[in-house]
Amino acid sequence: MILVWKLAYKNLIRAGLKTWLNALALSFAFVLIIFYNGMIDGWNMEARQDAVEWDYGYGHLRNAGYDPADPFSIQDGHGILPEPFRKDLTPVLVWQGTIYPQGRMMPVLIKGIEVNQETVKIPSEILKTSTAGYPVLLGRKMAESAGLKKGDPVLLRWRDKNGTFDAVEATVVGIFETNVPFVDGGQLWMSLKTLQEMTGLHDEASFYIANEAYVPEPIDGWTFIDQETLLKPVTDLINAKKYGAAIMYLLLLAIGLLVIFDTQAFAIFRRQKEIGTHIAMGMTKGEVIRMFTAEGAMYSIFAIVLGGLYGTPLFIYLAKNGISFPVSGDTMGIIIAPTIYSVYSAALIVKTFLLLVISATLVSLLATRKIATMNPVEALKGKAL
Amino acid sequence: MNEKIIIIENLVKRYPMGETEFTALKNINLTFDKGEFAGFVGPSGSGKTTILNILGSLDTPTEGKVVVEGEDVSNLSEKASALLRKEHIGFIFQSFNLLPVYTVFENVELSLLLLKKSAAEREKAVTAALEWVGLQDMARKKPPQLSGGESQRVAIARAIVKRPNIVLADEPTANLDAENAHIIMQTMQKLNEELKTTFIFATHDEKVMQYLKRKIHLQDGRVSKDETMETKTLQL
Repeated sequence: MILVWKLAYKNLIRAGLKTWLNALALSFAFVLIIFYNGMIDGWNMEARQDAVEWDYGYGHLRNAGYDPADPFSIQDGHGILPEPFRKDLTPVLVWQGTIYPQGRMMPVLIKGIEVNQETVKIPSEILKTSTAGYPVLLGRKMAESAGLKKGDPVLLRWRDKNGTFDAVEATVVGIFETNVPFVDGGQLWMSLKTLQEMTGLHDEASFYIANEAYVPEPIDGWTFIDQETLLKPVTDLINAKKYGAAIMYLLLLAIGLLVIFDTQAFAIFRRQKEIGTHIAMGMTKGEVIRMFTAEGAMYSIFAIVLGGLYGTPLFIYLAKNGISFPVSGDTMGIIIAPTIYSVYSAALIVKTFLLLVISATLVSLLATRKIATMNPVEALKGKAL
Repeated sequence: MNEKIIIIENLVKRYPMGETEFTALKNINLTFDKGEFAGFVGPSGSGKTTILNILGSLDTPTEGKVVVEGEDVSNLSEKASALLRKEHIGFIFQSFNLLPVYTVFENVELSLLLLKKSAAEREKAVTAALEWVGLQDMARKKPPQLSGGESQRVAIARAIVKRPNIVLADEPTANLDAENAHIIMQTMQKLNEELKTTFIFATHDEKVMQYLKRKIHLQDGRVSKDETMETKTLQL
């Protein structure tokens, strides 16, 4: 078996430029697969990290009546969590309201958060130190769409728990920058205590954000959603992009493999005498097939070496400097950092390596299996096909 | 008593030809002793190459028995017939069949690689084989850089480097001029005498025939004459 590989290696090396051109075609697929998947993995990692840091924490303990996907659940989806269960949790109360920036009416989701919390990156400490009567925080996107700046007053109107309308003049005391659209668009953050007072929902919360130390336990009327379950929509969305774009690099891979198939199929025709000579010298047809198949497999190994030569500096650059995205993710409702730093895991490289080697070997085997039906006498004359 | 290296009994070879069959060899009965320098002679289509291919286990008889080195080639598996060729038979072809991307040294070395000889053994044997054929200075050249005569000498070196008991040469001088044809035949004659290798030719070239110690005349697939010759010994 080693001999077959040695001969295949020698045949390819001696074929010179032809070998390297084939390997180059295949190397494009190799580099593109790693580049694209590295970028997606980087995006995924950043998106997950952002979602955890800004909203999900280590899970949500939700009031059984609260469903963030159902606006009708806001009215009744809140409650008082017994004190002994509140350890390592940050309360958030969600309520509906309306703001009137520059006289326009704009429905908002008011979120009251514990001002001393350090579980998520919402800069709630600003609310604590502000001297304004009703200090509120906005995300950049929300501030832009409402035309509000830091220090601007805005009329806020809501109904309390009994359905009675009330209104105050709130002050925008901070605008935060985030990649996470679901803590920004259409939302207004304020102190939990203030919101509880405004709504009459004393000591109540819609959900709690768990920190790392939180140990989930069954609590009547509350449901714990772990971090992975919360992150699933984010991961699913990114994976959907991944599979969609796979078509592009699989096409490139198919072109690379077609080059190998063509080369090997043509080689069988062109090298009939060589095949006959190998058989006359004592090789079995199986060994000759293995030698030609090994040549095909080696194309992929050469492609990996070649791709590694020009791809590695590119990958290192992208991992260090990232790729800037001109379109902000928050306009699309998905988490995209302005700069995505590619992540190249060992698993990605090994998987791509195996994909290339196995597919090139199979394609080469398909092209060379004709040798099995060759008559060696005719092959020696170059007339077997 | 001479050792019988090849025994052919009632050999028949037929090829399908459309809906009918063409009989290339008809009831051949022959034996070859170790160290013979013999040849099948006759016009094109007489069955010379067919019988050589069967002796080399590249083809199989339709009927009859062909025993080469104690192995009945008609019943050999592909693996066993490959082993027979690898260990005991060397081939020389009309069009040399050298591997163009390999050097002269590597072409000759290939049969030893297949026999899994060590690098030192290969080096020694290839050097000796190239010396026998007078090409020791051409070891690093590639076949396209060689003349026809040199290419055929490389093919001879490749055939004898593993010291096979039998060398089968199919029209070895067909692509060579007269001078090179004589050099090639003299080289093989010398190897036959020194190494006691059995050489069997298929030829219709008069230049080859004059070196043969035994001529087996084939006519329409039958042995028409089997004659032992007094050959001239040429000084190399």
